[in-house]
Amino acid sequence: MLSKPFPFLLTLVLLVTSAPLAAERPPLINDPAPAPSFTLEDMDGKTYKLEDYKGQVVVVNFWASWCPPCREEMPSMERAWKQLQEEDIAMLAINVGEDADTIFTFTADYPVSFPLPMDQDSTVINEWPIQGLPTTFVLDKQGRIVYRVVGGREWDDPELIDMLIELQNQ
Amino acid sequence: MRLAQRITPACLFLALCFTTPLQAQLSRGEDPDTGLRHWQWQEAGIHFKLTQRLPDQTRAFFGARGFDREARERIALACVFQTEFRNTAGNDQPPVEYDLSEWRVHTDDGTQPLMVRETWKPIWQEHDDLPKAARIAFEWALLPTQQEYAADDYNWGMTAYGLAPGSEFDLEFSWQRGDQQYTRRIDAIECPPDIHPQPD
Repeated sequence: MLSKPFPFLLTLVLLVTSAPLAAERPPLINDPAPAPSFTLEDMDGKTYKLEDYKGQVVVVNFWASWCPPCREEMPSMERAWKQLQEEDIAMLAINVGEDADTIFTFTADYPVSFPLPMDQDSTVINEWPIQGLPTTFVLDKQGRIVYRVVGGREWDDPELIDMLIELQNQ
Repeated sequence: MRLAQRITPACLFLALCFTTPLQAQLSRGEDPDTGLRHWQWQEAGIHFKLTQRLPDQTRAFFGARGFDREARERIALACVFQTEFRNTAGNDQPPVEYDLSEWRVHTDDGTQPLMVRETWKPIWQEHDDLPKAARIAFEWALLPTQQEYAADDYNWGMTAYGLAPGSEFDLEFSWQRGDQQYTRRIDAIECPPDIHPQPD
């Protein structure tokens, strides 16, 4: 007797309840403030200055090798980076408190091609609005923090990729 | 009439599906491989989970980051849990905030606060020889004392309760979403015992 409406409603329930599994865009920050500047070196001694990225959307991630969600999101950041660099979007993953040897060992297991500047004495992280790792910020072309994401994400999710490309195209 | 007969049970099923996740739900469990116990609370768009960390796990973690034996023991024997706090509500809801310094640990001997980042700072100041890298790792390995989570945001981190291994306590914890304040209690949480399991 319930054969017709029941499958329809069951399908509806499954669709609605599975919706939160898809990535949700982080809320846009109202009245965005300029990101604190930094100059940091990576394990090869190459220098990265935030000011050098003015005019580009920049994804700034803070991480450590001992942090499980940081490790978990790294492969998706690499997949996202392969799409984003074609759009002239920058990505910097700032390691907090570890040395070059530790990062070198980490990259053997988690090979990434975007820059990994080192904040060895935690000076930079203490100037940014961060409480826990990982935290990722998205800066607009004016260098302002427009999105903050706490915890790991699947960064190659189309919703998040679209969000970044839309920002770059503004 | 026939239409109502068809739709009413389906509507009841639908209502059940949507109302169940809104109810507070505590679950306890034990990992069959490690024997580590966990306590998990889900309610009104938050997910909160405590998982026991054996003192040996904590000794190993901080030992690898430059903590000397005395400093390792201090944290390892402080009743440490791996902790997850997550905002599972959507962007249509206000963000969730908590302040660990407001949470309370109840035992037969009384009530005390958690050992948060700010509690540990003066303790580590007494350890002049603790390397800077170790201090940085310690600070960021703990669950943040205050945090705000938008949709899908979460943290994993350690929380310390300042009790002896194997102690039992009740945790009174709270969070806020918009103007709504929530205070809840989980009874009979067990601090991890100081055992040294050997591989089979």
